Amino acid sequence: MSLSPLAIVLLAVTLLLGVGFYGLLVARNLIKLIVVLQILAKAAMLAFVAAGYGQEHMGLAQSMVAMVIVADTVVAVIALALAVQVRRHYGTLDVRKLTTLRG
Amino acid sequence: MALWTSSLHPFLWLIVIPVLASPVVYLAGRLAGAALARWLALIALIVTCAPCVLAAQELAANGAATFTLGLVQLQFDGLSLLLAGLALGLGTSVTLFSNAYMRGETGEEKYYAALLAMIGVMVGLGCANDLFNLWVWFEAMAVSSYMLVAFYRDQPASLEAGVKYLVQSAAGSVLVLLGIAAVFGATGQLSLASIADSVRQAGATQATSAGLLAAGALMTVGFGVKAALVPLHTWLPDAHSQAPSGISAMLSGVVIEAGLIALLRAVSALLGEGDAVARFGQLLLLFAALNMMLGNLLALKQTQVKRMLAFSSLSHMGYMLLGFGVAAYTGQSAAAQGGMFHMLSHGLMKGLAFLAAGALLYTLYVAKGAHGPLMVNDLNGAARRYPLAALALGVAVLGLAGLPPLVGFMSKWQIFVGGFQAGDTLVALLVIFAALNSVLSLAYYAPLVNAMYRREPSHAVRLGAAMPPTMIVPLVVMSILVIALGVWPTLIAWLTEPAGQALLAGW
Repeated sequence: MSLSPLAIVLLAVTLLLGVGFYGLLVARNLIKLIVVLQILAKAAMLAFVAAGYGQEHMGLAQSMVAMVIVADTVVAVIALALAVQVRRHYGTLDVRKLTTLRG
Repeated sequence: MALWTSSLHPFLWLIVIPVLASPVVYLAGRLAGAALARWLALIALIVTCAPCVLAAQELAANGAATFTLGLVQLQFDGLSLLLAGLALGLGTSVTLFSNAYMRGETGEEKYYAALLAMIGVMVGLGCANDLFNLWVWFEAMAVSSYMLVAFYRDQPASLEAGVKYLVQSAAGSVLVLLGIAAVFGATGQLSLASIADSVRQAGATQATSAGLLAAGALMTVGFGVKAALVPLHTWLPDAHSQAPSGISAMLSGVVIEAGLIALLRAVSALLGEGDAVARFGQLLLLFAALNMMLGNLLALKQTQVKRMLAFSSLSHMGYMLLGFGVAAYTGQSAAAQGGMFHMLSHGLMKGLAFLAAGALLYTLYVAKGAHGPLMVNDLNGAARRYPLAALALGVAVLGLAGLPPLVGFMSKWQIFVGGFQAGDTLVALLVIFAALNSVLSLAYYAPLVNAMYRREPSHAVRLGAAMPPTMIVPLVVMSILVIALGVWPTLIAWLTEPAGQALLAGW
């Protein structure tokens, strides 16, 4: 059985999403959490490419993905800056230790 | 090819001025001291009010305006005007308020730069006319608000709030993006109007409708994180209570409403004709009930003032959802207008409440270099030393509870009237539930007023610093608005009516 290119890409999207959401549930290290968020964003980008491929709007899809990459990098940069400050003030990157705010 | 296919409309300046002023303010603050940044930000926002008035007049005279630049199309309709007016009005008050509140903090110029950028992109979010554009504005708003929530980067609590907010929002925005990809894959369109057209014409083949259903669900959850629909709300109390008070006012008063507007706009385009709109209305009503109940119950047990106000934002999101849900479920235009009115009045009242609480927090703690939370007990006897701030906080929380003749009563009343006019048992029961919730909310608002006016001054109040006049001015102006719009609600009909119509036009 041979898979169509679109099916392969969609399979990859599903896999990335699976890894991403599983990671969101189990990751405890803040840096790992940021990596997981990046994996999720990559899944969304790949989904865009697949949609563009299916609809034969590849140019539009690619330009949008370039935009998503920029926006996503900004988020990652801010997240890493926060992680640096968290390490400095809590002495750990374990998100389970961030428990000052309750109720 | 001409890149500019239409002339410059005044509404563009609403986006351009704050966004361009943002780096200028930052550089000015860096090179010439924070004082320049403080006043430059305020001047930029006051200058922006002029095109806002022009754009409103143009909208009333000629209807919705569009601007096209390449593939990017912006449309300024009633809903955009409401969001722009709210963001600019509240933003100006917050900038004036922050003048004293943020003075001397490290990175003060970054605060004003991020605040200006956030206001500009929120106006842009209201004008976005295609799905991808909507996401870009939404993400820009999120990015600027991450920086503002975690502004006190040396306080562990503020960092924790920032981390929670960032991780949940970023996951939500990925879901939105997946939803947009699904729509793009199913219809090949991104512009909201052409998506709506192609959904109507296709009459939904099996494969497309499955894709659109998935997209609708993904976008509801993704935008729902920002709009704090109840199971997705857990970042809100932390972020809203730990941010600097001016930012709490912006977040509660405008940002969650902007999330709701993005949700309504994006999902409305996917519904097509038939009973999909009514079913979307039922979904909104379900979230309305959850938000009202959980927000009120959790607010009841809070001992920190800002955290209590943050939880009450959840219940007010519920009232707005009730208005929009009734409008979608039964097609009642009065309820949609009521929802828009409540969006506006909540922005005003919650903004005022956070600013007044912030003013007290400033005089009791921040002015002395301490960063403790403002507890309800700290407010004891505050009215004796700070009569204006106490009056403003009292007016705001009683308005939020919905006591006449304040604006909160009128906006809730309009939603309830719209609900009863629908003549549907389920809706009528929900409206009664909402009214009971409104009474329940007095149980946590009234003790605040009681503490300020009837108790002996607390230790913190007796030692409190003087309140700077730049803080009192926005409090007084907003209190007057809360009372005046409650007595003459028709004064604001020019803003809420076109917004309600713009929303209903999509259904």
